[in-house]
Amino acid sequence: MEYLYDHYAGALLGVVARILRKEELAEEVLQDVFLKIWDRIDSYDAGKGRLFTWMLNIARNQAIDKTRSKEFSKGKKTGDIDNYVNRIENEGFVEQKVEAIGLQNLLNTLPEDQRFIIDQHYLKGYTQAEIAEEFNLPLGTVKTRMRLAMKELRNLLK
Amino acid sequence: MNVEQYISSGILEAYALGELPEQERLEVERNLKLYPELRKELALIEETQEKLLIKAGISPKPSVKKSLFAKIDAADRGAKVVQLPPAEGGSAFWKFAAAASIAVALITSYLAYDYRDKWKKTEDNLAELTAQNQQMATDYNTVNQRLDQIENDLRVTNNPDFNRILLRGTPNAPGSLASVYWNEKTKEVFLSIQDLKELAQENQYQLWAIIDGKPVDAGVFDSNFKGLLKMKDIGSGAATFAVTIEPRGGRQTPSLETMQVAGNVVKG
Repeated sequence: MEYLYDHYAGALLGVVARILRKEELAEEVLQDVFLKIWDRIDSYDAGKGRLFTWMLNIARNQAIDKTRSKEFSKGKKTGDIDNYVNRIENEGFVEQKVEAIGLQNLLNTLPEDQRFIIDQHYLKGYTQAEIAEEFNLPLGTVKTRMRLAMKELRNLLK
Repeated sequence: MNVEQYISSGILEAYALGELPEQERLEVERNLKLYPELRKELALIEETQEKLLIKAGISPKPSVKKSLFAKIDAADRGAKVVQLPPAEGGSAFWKFAAAASIAVALITSYLAYDYRDKWKKTEDNLAELTAQNQQMATDYNTVNQRLDQIENDLRVTNNPDFNRILLRGTPNAPGSLASVYWNEKTKEVFLSIQDLKELAQENQYQLWAIIDGKPVDAGVFDSNFKGLLKMKDIGSGAATFAVTIEPRGGRQTPSLETMQVAGNVVKG
């Protein structure tokens, strides 16, 4: 469990935080996510995908549930993703800063329309359906652009 | 199925993101079992996604980890024990143990069967008793309501302020009989039927009070009620009460030729 946490807590917190946009709430939800993973690890079916994908789905669902809760709608306006940017830039998370810059450079090599989809989904936390609706794109287009981008990233991330 | 086309639609990415509706998700899972190419592709997508998200990760504060593992320990979730099957052994003890377990299993399953049977019967009995009980409750309520009504009726008939006027059958209906209870002070009027014939669906009886020679409407009624029926208030001066047959809902003026019963007020 500790291995899972050390390895994946950062990635999952990133996902949860981008959906919730509130630091403390995101860290609270991250704990719930790991408690859930701990509870349900027996039901993970390796035949249906990677362990990380399974954990990712738990994290996303938990975060999305939270956005529907009372607690969330109360303080929605006050928190912002900028808090995270500030934290990363100001508080000396050197390693993350490097990683974040590296990631940005990496994404910049993608064609604009693909980079946009990846950015909206993975970095801003929108679902494919939300992107389609928000930017007036057919869902099919969002899906195929995502597909092309992922294929490109596959090589870039090697 | 064209696997290339299926892959390039981006459905596997959406699957890996957990964004597919239930039905499509099940379909993808079915296809994954059928086509190894899809499994290979999905594995690559998941790997890319994992790398990307790890790069985009945000390290939680150390306090989060501390608090999480304290929670896990507190809930005693710290130790998940997996029972391993015992190693094989050929000793007589194990044979005996195996025989004993089989015996226990047989006895247990017989008992389980027996108990299930008994339980089933008990459940049936319970259902029957519950139904009976409900019927009793309904009956009791009906009786209770009837009793309440009779008590209320008695309050009227026993009250000396109520004047009882007997309405006798007219030549139209010689055998008919009804009574009006009228309280001149409070203007209340109650009606009880002793004998009135059944009417067709489109007709209703209407009660009239004759005041200063003019008929005043006292309300309509059907013939199928028991006890006392509260009618419209009638003020002082009524000399006669009469009942006519009118179209359902009543009329402004009585059809005198249909008059069924009538009776004069006798001042007590």
